[in-house]
Amino acid sequence: MKSSRIFSKEALLAYCFVLPALLYMFVFIGYPLIYNLLLSFQEVNVMTFTKPVKEFVGFQNYIELFSKPGAIMPKIIMNTVVFTIGSIAVQFVVGFALALLFKNKFTGSSLIRGVIIIAWLIPVTVTGLLYKFIFAVNGGIINELLLAWGVIREPIQWLLEPITSMIAVITANIWIGIPFNMILILTGLTTVPETVYESASIDGANTVQKLFLITVPMIKPALMSVLTLGFIYTFKVFDLVWVMTKGGPVFATELLSTYSYRMSFDEFNFSQGAAVANILFVVLFIVGIFYTRIIQEDEVM
Amino acid sequence: MRKVTGYEKRKEYLLTAGGLIVGVIFLFPLYWMIVTAFKTEMEIFQSPPTLFPNTIYIEAIKNQFTSDYNILGAFKNSTIIAITAMIISTCLAIPASYGLARFNFKGKRLFVFLFLMTQMLPATLVLTPLFITFKSIGLLNTHWAPILADATIGIPFSVLILRTYFVSIPKELEEAAKIDGCSQFSAFFRIMLPIAVPGVVVAAVFSFMFAWGDLIYGLTFIGKPDQRPITAGIYNALQQYSTSWNATMAFGIISILPVVIIFIFMQRYIVSGLTNGAVKA
Repeated sequence: MKSSRIFSKEALLAYCFVLPALLYMFVFIGYPLIYNLLLSFQEVNVMTFTKPVKEFVGFQNYIELFSKPGAIMPKIIMNTVVFTIGSIAVQFVVGFALALLFKNKFTGSSLIRGVIIIAWLIPVTVTGLLYKFIFAVNGGIINELLLAWGVIREPIQWLLEPITSMIAVITANIWIGIPFNMILILTGLTTVPETVYESASIDGANTVQKLFLITVPMIKPALMSVLTLGFIYTFKVFDLVWVMTKGGPVFATELLSTYSYRMSFDEFNFSQGAAVANILFVVLFIVGIFYTRIIQEDEVM
Repeated sequence: MRKVTGYEKRKEYLLTAGGLIVGVIFLFPLYWMIVTAFKTEMEIFQSPPTLFPNTIYIEAIKNQFTSDYNILGAFKNSTIIAITAMIISTCLAIPASYGLARFNFKGKRLFVFLFLMTQMLPATLVLTPLFITFKSIGLLNTHWAPILADATIGIPFSVLILRTYFVSIPKELEEAAKIDGCSQFSAFFRIMLPIAVPGVVVAAVFSFMFAWGDLIYGLTFIGKPDQRPITAGIYNALQQYSTSWNATMAFGIISILPVVIIFIFMQRYIVSGLTNGAVKA
């Protein structure tokens, strides 16, 4: 009996500490989330916005997204997948390579490693602008380099053609993601004791063998959490694409996040915008649960 | 022995060269932004491009302060929004993270899980409901709308970062204070909080930077140009003068200044925040 009373007093104290933040998050995230769900089951657009009672339409908005004439939803899901996989694959491999490089101590290693992080920190709006200039048709450095090296004869209209615009936004996103991948993998690498490598060397293992037979298996939890976190952060990217292409040309770089925004705040079709956002949410939620599993295995919560 | 040191030396030279090449390539876009801001319009479109401005042209930077667009005003808006959001999220996250680190109670795991999940939500998900709510209570077109929304990014991050900090502080310290007559609250304020200062700094810095870098809330909730943060201003400027690259790059440089300054002075904190916030959670 005594222990349960102590527990309840402790619980009461704990709630005092935790509740304010929790309440805040409920008001500004929890409630909007529910609101958004309701919105997606109603008919709220520019015509019905001021009506006091909104019509309940069930899954109509979701069905319409896929079945209305000229529905671009499948294309947008495909774009989001291409953008996410393309970004993650490159930034993971490059980030891993840089982590292996900067694990070594050499003149300037910690300085260079540190400065690289700034790419991850600067506001994405500015990064988007910068890459818009880098991929500009005239005066853009990418075109200038490719012309100078003789790779192309005519300047490429990077942001005005479907495939090249996707390449451009993915490139910019990779640049932002590399430091993030590098730092997290580097942290994982430091947990592998040096003696493991030494004994492997004595047994005659070469560098490649050591990488795939020792390093990768030993830091697998860190690698998995980098990949899932990378997925989550990339799948919901908005600012970068909105600044660089606004989803264009003709929806070539339109992602779930930008499409949702366009529906709600350009076309004022709030219900369909909400439906798109909820589809985005379901995917992130599933991957998010997967992520919490990984870090729970890694460390007791 | 001499053979080994020779090999070690060669290896270090190679690594240094590799590190330098990586650094130069990776940071080139930022270098390009800076030199472009100091080039004339004509030099920017010159082919082949110049690696360094032929003549240092400072008009593009100067024009930022004299043009119709009030960049200092936008800078001020961003500062107000980011600092207020930072204060809200830090003040709420400190007690919450302490509660989650120190006590065992029903729902603790669920709460940690909830904070973890909110960190992953896309802004588009809550954007419309917040827009409608802010509109109905008259907060639209005020700084409060982006402030309140931006704090929701900082809070979960700060809670998770600070929780690992409080977990790592030995419980005995606090017990000793309580035996000496401190209450739970004063033990928290007088013993735990001062030890956790580095963690608080990390949390505050990140909350500030999340809010400073936000585009979507500032753009959506504030329609009046003179109330908008600098990120929304730069976005609009780009729509209008899309090919005046020296001007846009100059604008970009000015808007990232606070982040760069914070980075220079707090690099160690930032790296620790990045790793603790993401992996340990």
